[in-house]
Amino acid sequence: MTTSEAGTGPTMKGYVAVWLGMIVIVAIEAALARAHVSSGMLVASLLVLAFLEAAVALRYFMHLKYEVPMLFWTLIPGLLLAFIMMNQFWADAVRMRVLHFPTP
Amino acid sequence: MSESAMAVPGMHASTTEPSPFLISSKKLTMWLFIVADAATFGALLFGYGYLRFGSPNWTKPFTFSPNIINGLGMTVVLLTSSLTMLFGVAAAREGRRSATLKWLMATVLLGTLFAVLHLREWSGMLHEGWSLSANPMGGSALVGAVFFSITGLHLLHVISGVLAIIVIAIAFQTGHLTAGHVETTGLYWHFVDLVWMFVFPLLYLLNVR
Repeated sequence: MTTSEAGTGPTMKGYVAVWLGMIVIVAIEAALARAHVSSGMLVASLLVLAFLEAAVALRYFMHLKYEVPMLFWTLIPGLLLAFIMMNQFWADAVRMRVLHFPTP
Repeated sequence: MSESAMAVPGMHASTTEPSPFLISSKKLTMWLFIVADAATFGALLFGYGYLRFGSPNWTKPFTFSPNIINGLGMTVVLLTSSLTMLFGVAAAREGRRSATLKWLMATVLLGTLFAVLHLREWSGMLHEGWSLSANPMGGSALVGAVFFSITGLHLLHVISGVLAIIVIAIAFQTGHLTAGHVETTGLYWHFVDLVWMFVFPLLYLLNVR
């Protein structure tokens, strides 16, 4: 069974280009942390860049781009839905802020 | 799968209905594991977010130099190991056994270097007084608990991956395993890299003084 080779994927030069792009994203993240931007802006920027980097890794390094679309639609939306549902608990974090954790 | 196919013991997979995903069962299994593991790491990182938001006395343990510089080095090492893994998978697909071994061993070395850098950082923090339940800066003790738990689980994945790649490389070299096994292991290794893409900015870069 060799159907795993559904697509050939990028060339070696393509892989190196993707790798360089990811290094650049990491450098931007570090520069943002050093720039001491506001906390909210920093969290938002880092999350956007992290998801961008993850999307690139999924598509090119993990070859999801070259698999049949059904694989993507079976795996990824459900995972994203799980992450979205985890946001329902932020209200508890607000309550914790009021209650305070004891410091040993 | 037809009922007649199911009724005949030992019937080969080639006579059954093909996978709708057009991938091997081992690769699909790895994808399912990755999704489950991603949910685990996602829950841990959300937990970190809740604890951090809910702790007014959260302290930022890192300075840009040496902590973030060290973290950047670890990130580059892990990203590069993904590249060598890709070269290894490509070589395996082409049946070049010695090249596959060479690239997989390069991946093992880079993975080991990542683990060493990580453990060195842990050692420094433990020496400063950080632990799962202690914060030498006087703030929330949850800082150490969150940091060591999440990076520890990731480090466990890295070490497991290094061991798996060694086994796969040797077995592929001796002809006991196929290029499909190398590719499936590569999928796992890229996932370990992917998780770090979230751990590094959220646990390190957001905690710079």
